[in-house]
Amino acid sequence: MTKNSYKTGPDELGYFGEGDAAMGGMAVGETLMPVLHELNQGFEDAIKDQSFLDEFDYHCKHYIGRPSPLYFAENLTRKLGGAKILFKREHLNHTLSHKVTNSLFQVLLAKRMKKKALICESGAGQHFSATAAVAAKFGMPLTGVMGDIDIARVNQNIIKAKHYGAKLKSVPGTLKEAITEAIKTFSSNPDYAYICGSAVSSAPYPRIVQFAQSVIGREIREQSMAQEGRLPNMLIACCGGGSNLIGMIHEFLDEPEIIKIGVEAAETAALSNGTPGIMQGMKTYMLQTADGSKSLGGASLGAGIQYFSVGPQHSFLKDQGAVTYTSATDKEILEAYKLIASTEGICSALEPMAGAAELIKQAKNKPKDYLICLNLCGTGEKDLNTIQEHIGKDFE
Amino acid sequence: MSDRLKKIFSEKEPRTKLISYFVGCYPDYDQSLSLMKEAIDNGVSILEIGYVTSEASAEGSIIKKAHDHVLSNGGNLNDIINLVKDLRSYSDKIGIVLMGYIANLYKYPIPKFVDDIKKAGADAVLVVDAPHELKEENQLREALNKNGLSLIKLAAPTTDDNRLKDIINIASGFLYQVNVSGVTGDKSADETDVANFVKRIKILTNIPVCSGFGIKSPKDAKKMANSGCNGVIVGSTFVKYIQDNLSAPELTKSFGKQVKSFSEVLK
Repeated sequence: MTKNSYKTGPDELGYFGEGDAAMGGMAVGETLMPVLHELNQGFEDAIKDQSFLDEFDYHCKHYIGRPSPLYFAENLTRKLGGAKILFKREHLNHTLSHKVTNSLFQVLLAKRMKKKALICESGAGQHFSATAAVAAKFGMPLTGVMGDIDIARVNQNIIKAKHYGAKLKSVPGTLKEAITEAIKTFSSNPDYAYICGSAVSSAPYPRIVQFAQSVIGREIREQSMAQEGRLPNMLIACCGGGSNLIGMIHEFLDEPEIIKIGVEAAETAALSNGTPGIMQGMKTYMLQTADGSKSLGGASLGAGIQYFSVGPQHSFLKDQGAVTYTSATDKEILEAYKLIASTEGICSALEPMAGAAELIKQAKNKPKDYLICLNLCGTGEKDLNTIQEHIGKDFE
Repeated sequence: MSDRLKKIFSEKEPRTKLISYFVGCYPDYDQSLSLMKEAIDNGVSILEIGYVTSEASAEGSIIKKAHDHVLSNGGNLNDIINLVKDLRSYSDKIGIVLMGYIANLYKYPIPKFVDDIKKAGADAVLVVDAPHELKEENQLREALNKNGLSLIKLAAPTTDDNRLKDIINIASGFLYQVNVSGVTGDKSADETDVANFVKRIKILTNIPVCSGFGIKSPKDAKKMANSGCNGVIVGSTFVKYIQDNLSAPELTKSFGKQVKSFSEVLK
């Protein structure tokens, strides 16, 4: 990791930053250590192989439908009366979220490394349905681990994943419990490939996910230059584990004049309210008891951002002051959903509406030539029951 | 390196040491203490006392249930260190290893943890999710070594010879040989695999090797002992016995018999 760039990390042991303040690392049992070193080597080899990268690009274009549009939200811009607002429409990807790009990359990597079976975890079910789709396409069996609370609330993703041939393993709880269980399942089957859905866990996962998702930022640069003749002044995305956020901002990390904001769920705002700790394979900010024996955190309507912890690169970027992290309440998320559905005719997932809540606050006070881009990382279909239950009457 | 662990493994009897894992403070402080005392009286050479964390990534359903019980009753690392103190005053000979995850030690924090467990009379620490690649493992190992205590290292079926050499280089006390890939109390250990693994380790080192995971009966323990290891580690089987007999009036005594059925075959 070179000192003058945020884009080169982490180091070979998975650390972002130096000394005791470094975040990330590899905190897993011995059984997985050789496997993770093998994965890291496989990843390093693959990204030097142009034919592999070309294959990834090909499927990004033809299977996923990348690039996703960069859309001028004209009505919302007018309504808020401040900054010019752009949406990066990741919800238009195949399987309807940003997750599929990472799933595609890791499944191609698993195939290249001659793995025969896949495991994944999921919170909102977006990563499960995305990985299941890609696994079906490349003929690999998949077991997805999810918490029973999430299974009940994002049922559509599970139905789809089943149609794609994936198996579901249910554990009591939500994303947190699913991640711990996925690590256990991986330990019991170290010859499988674990397709990690966010920029979390032990090295090398945060780096792999960052690599796969950073196509989002590269597209924004190209599209913004072509459409607007300039780059956005501000980038905003929601943050659970932080994969859509790192994917959006990684390209711009060495451009401090571009403001970057990550928005967590207020109930599980690890970066705003947490302290450094080591759980689930990584050192990072998290909500925990003072003695480190228990993870903490409440419930958010956005299953995908209800996570007590966060990817280690975000902890590093917070400490460096390179990215600002805020949070949004359920009420703010629902208000943002209503506004965007009614002004733009877009049914967004609840997670990116945490980002939209921040966008609304920011845009109002900015001049008209100020350009803000929101990563709209998923569709709302999975959340319709939740939305109907909470604010259905508002639409009647 | 712990002198007490060295002494334990230098003794001729029992030929193979019985190491038993307990979830500290399970089902509560007092019962946990009397169960461990009973284990000492029935032939256990080393106690592994587990301290609990909510995101434990290597525990199967039996130990997880016990962890959850302790977590919800508020049993913490300070209580576990008090248990060590009480056990040390009960026996000067018993080896005591604290076992758990890096989460709690990091917050304790590490230097104070090592001071406190030394004062309490522990011999070693085993941290499941702290490979030598982790900065906090390096800090912990250095502090333990400086204080004459051991950090117990693990070798797994996935560990290749190059990595095994690195681990042996830093191993202290004994090497924990993980028999099967996966969580505690799940798969059974295969005799031939274990024997081959012990052989692979013994070519490289003289450090005592203790074999754990998948040992469910005295018969299993005997088989593993025949593989050439210096100790066998029994965890989930004992925890399950306690779990299944929580309301039995003579739990401590009957547990002693259960422990003895293992230690007898290892003499």
